[in-house]
Amino acid sequence: METFDYSDSPYPIRSDIRKAHQEYWQRLRKPGSWWNGAQRVAIAAESRQAFHCAYCVERKQALSPYQVAGQHETTQSVLDPIAVDAIHRIITDQTRITARYIEQNDAAGLSKNAYVELTGIVVAMFSIDEFHRALGLPLEPLPAFETGEPSQYQPEILSDDIGFVPTVPPEGAVGAEADLWSDGRTANVVRALTLVPDALRDWRMLSDAQYISFASMANFVGDPNRSINRMQTELIAGRVSAINECFY
Amino acid sequence: MLRVSASTTDTDIDLNAINGDTDSAAVGITYGPELVRFAQSFALRDDELAQHRQALLDIAGPDVLVDAAGVAANFQRMTRIADSIGIPVDDMQADVGQAVRQELNLTRFASAQNTLNQQA
Repeated sequence: METFDYSDSPYPIRSDIRKAHQEYWQRLRKPGSWWNGAQRVAIAAESRQAFHCAYCVERKQALSPYQVAGQHETTQSVLDPIAVDAIHRIITDQTRITARYIEQNDAAGLSKNAYVELTGIVVAMFSIDEFHRALGLPLEPLPAFETGEPSQYQPEILSDDIGFVPTVPPEGAVGAEADLWSDGRTANVVRALTLVPDALRDWRMLSDAQYISFASMANFVGDPNRSINRMQTELIAGRVSAINECFY
Repeated sequence: MLRVSASTTDTDIDLNAINGDTDSAAVGITYGPELVRFAQSFALRDDELAQHRQALLDIAGPDVLVDAAGVAANFQRMTRIADSIGIPVDDMQADVGQAVRQELNLTRFASAQNTLNQQA
């Protein structure tokens, strides 16, 4: 059966959005850089669970996330509890993730590489599921995983100058990373997931369809392939970001 | 980005729309109030999403609704990328960015520390 059919949608879904969602489902099910296919699909399933977790609700209301002891309501998957906690934090309490939290997880077995790939899966899943929720559409069933081992690929050129994890520096988009950006210039948010370059490739693909393409980023009037102009686009983006308390 | 797009198109806007003021959203932006109500209800996960979805659909049509849903969902992702990785703002000294952050009082957000601590 074809994924993301959308034929029952009361609204016509743009073909590029459907194609991006279908393509992501294919990528999700395959072994990644630091997680195998079963683990990647389990991360996706756990991301759907986070908003149903009573412990997350209680912790979100606490002055500090460390004040409340408890256990997550999980999908009981193959994932380690540290990974489950990271998934739930990214979905429900992301503004209080700190460098110390990442370092402690790293010491306890969730490497920064694995954390970045996990983050990429969680946010990609979330944006697809949230698109469905926004339109009142049912969630797409998760794909069956492919067997195989993670590649353990890591870029050769990395820098520790921003954020909680190493990232490819602006001048580092060369060789296998040459497609990430051009001219040695990019934004920090683009660099964020580059410890796992495929995670950036995934979000670019989804962002091109759901927001605007990288090529159109400097077009502040509007993309002719969209029904809303750039001001309308940024109004929505700004309001959602403000509610998420995003300083960036 | 909203400020820059308004400047580019020589449009007067009121940035208080970003903080949820729907009257401000009506200034210079077609369907501004409906877009803000839809985005807000969606991001807050409140019980009025269906109502605001329908209101946007009624006034703007299905193509606008679908595009709006795509952008709103996309920024559920972007904000989590920024905060999960702790990336700082690219250029805190840029005039436009400074003005917008001040006007919207964005330093009240906990994630501002990812930028402010890096500068210290």
